[in-house]
Amino acid sequence: MIDINNIPWCEKYRAKKIEDIKGQELAIDKVKMFLRTFPQKKAVILHGPPGTGKTSLAYAIAYENDSEILELNASDLRNKDKISQIIGPATQQRSLFKKSKIILVDEVDGISTIKDRGGIGELLFILERSSFPVIITANDIWQKKFNLLRKKAEIISLKEVEYKVIKDILNQVCEKENHAVSGEIITSIAIKSRGDIRAALNDLQLLSKMDSPELLIEAGERNKEQSIFTSLQYVFKNAQIDTKMLKIFDETNMPIDEIFLWIEENIPLEYKGTELAKAFNALSMADVFRGRIRRQRHWRFMVYEYFLLGPAIASVKDYNRTGWTSYRKPSRILKIWLQNQRSAKKKSICIKYAKHTHISTKTAMKDFLLLKIILQENNLRKMLKLNEEEIAYLDKPIIS
Amino acid sequence: MAESYNHDVWTEKYRPKKFEDMVGQEEIIKRVKALTNSMNIPHLLLAGPAGTGKSTIALIIVKELFGESWRENYLELNASDERGIDVVRQKVKDFARTKAIGDVPFKIIFLDEADALTREAQQALRRTMENYTSTCRFILSCNYSSKILDPIQSRAVVFRFQLLEKKDIKKRIDIISKNEGLSITPDAFDVLYESSEGDCRRVINLLQATASISPNITPDLVNTIVSKAKPSDIKIVLDYALSGDFINAREKLLDIMLKESISGQDVIKAIQKEVWNLPIDNKLKVRLTEKTGEAEFRLVEGSDEFIQLEALLASFILAGQGGE
Repeated sequence: MIDINNIPWCEKYRAKKIEDIKGQELAIDKVKMFLRTFPQKKAVILHGPPGTGKTSLAYAIAYENDSEILELNASDLRNKDKISQIIGPATQQRSLFKKSKIILVDEVDGISTIKDRGGIGELLFILERSSFPVIITANDIWQKKFNLLRKKAEIISLKEVEYKVIKDILNQVCEKENHAVSGEIITSIAIKSRGDIRAALNDLQLLSKMDSPELLIEAGERNKEQSIFTSLQYVFKNAQIDTKMLKIFDETNMPIDEIFLWIEENIPLEYKGTELAKAFNALSMADVFRGRIRRQRHWRFMVYEYFLLGPAIASVKDYNRTGWTSYRKPSRILKIWLQNQRSAKKKSICIKYAKHTHISTKTAMKDFLLLKIILQENNLRKMLKLNEEEIAYLDKPIIS
Repeated sequence: MAESYNHDVWTEKYRPKKFEDMVGQEEIIKRVKALTNSMNIPHLLLAGPAGTGKSTIALIIVKELFGESWRENYLELNASDERGIDVVRQKVKDFARTKAIGDVPFKIIFLDEADALTREAQQALRRTMENYTSTCRFILSCNYSSKILDPIQSRAVVFRFQLLEKKDIKKRIDIISKNEGLSITPDAFDVLYESSEGDCRRVINLLQATASISPNITPDLVNTIVSKAKPSDIKIVLDYALSGDFINAREKLLDIMLKESISGQDVIKAIQKEVWNLPIDNKLKVRLTEKTGEAEFRLVEGSDEFIQLEALLASFILAGQGGE
């Protein structure tokens, strides 16, 4: 029996229709064009990083065209016999139930030249003969073994999904799953996923089962930390400005918002006094440019953003730094998350109070100390239908 | 459903139920009343400070229009609480799908704190307003109408609420005092009024909190409550900064912001007021106030609250050392 709670969210919320696929408009158009002009080209290769929606796109387009999908994926043995056995006849038969058929060869990079000998050759042979469109997905299509395949098929690239799009998706899932997760945590998951929707959904599901988010932040972050450590060291320790500093943070491959958090956390560990003030001044100006980029979509400002984070912060000191500083992981988002957990009762009281008195929860939160006094009255507690935990929270003395 | 609790939060118990009960805003009330009597109101935009009667007038409008069935025909949303414009749109859509009950051919949606919406969200809202205009009227409220997009303003009748005058607030307090059997000395009323900065809702909250201790309201008693309910002092953050301890200063800052649920802009406001009382050279105070202004500007523009505040704290560190 399948427990509905155990279905991975990345499967449960896999995009079913074209409209559900976010952030890949260009690729969608190209696939539609391919199907419309089929058999001009026999196949397309959907190419892109993991979790960007390649498989989902194939299924969604099949759904829209009322086509049946015939799938081969990495778990199938891909030797010559197996492929021709499955795909060969299928390419010649019409679908029994649907208008048409689409052949999907999922994760073609999984075909090994040794173990699945002849697999690629057979695939090419089938492409030639197929009377149905073939969709191939791959993470890395530029390997030598795919030289011929690349020539036969049109390559459509899917890009890493923008973190804001991922945020929207996560928020929708939270809503459907009835999980309240703070915006900060959603943002950090979205950023951390680096454009991979599947990874983001996995993280979110993991988080939903945990009491504390610390584990999540530990998960799979090692490599990236290494590179941000070296970059921080380079900028914080060297007084001479060089061209390397211009792109050092860009090259860490870490989302810019996360880089900001790292720098912010660690400036005071390295600098004091005037240097501290100058470094924060540079960081705050970089933040201003970040905001301008976001609001005006003027990407050229990124030049200044990286300039302020790199050379400008490096130049706050006159001499090279020696000695070892042990840099810390950003803690702000975690603290915000923990505090939100702790004040969950306060919030639930404020939600009830706010609804009753026609104000916003935020306003109620701000006035909480006064409300706490007013809500000492038992009749009011009853009227607002406060539960035992909430009442206990109101009776608890303030710890500071 | 005419439920009247004997025990209720006073801001609700004594919320004016009719136009005639409202204090201040005479011009606005006259015009809104006329609109309501015509049974066909346009979209409204109510702009003005907190606690001046914006939500109250919206509630009176719907009760006048719909009578007993006002709850079925009224949707109250708060922009600062809803998660994004999509949620707002969905709720509006669900609400607007069914026809209004009764004689009035439209329903009313009250969107409080509409200035909390971003420009993009307001664009979307504008389209939503247009789509449902045949079945719904919107009443938007905001503190500053300048934060509302022009196209929205031009589709609504704008009313600007003024801060209530002391004598107006006095009228409401007298009614409450009589009803609840309180005695309030004139000095005590002054303290109530001043510590609430003219926000009628806060005056009443403060009064109820004070009255929960004793029905004899004296200035001392009010002051005790005020200091009890006072958020942690931002000064402690500045003290840390002036003493050169940046790490503790920012730790404390984040702590206060989270625990008291206050925004970066509230913090800046408190810092700006505090600067003149700091034990530093007057020239430094000028420089720091400039920096504070710049930081506030950046926050209003939408910069990262915490980074901007940290940068500001860092300049307080310098000031503490007597530097630049």
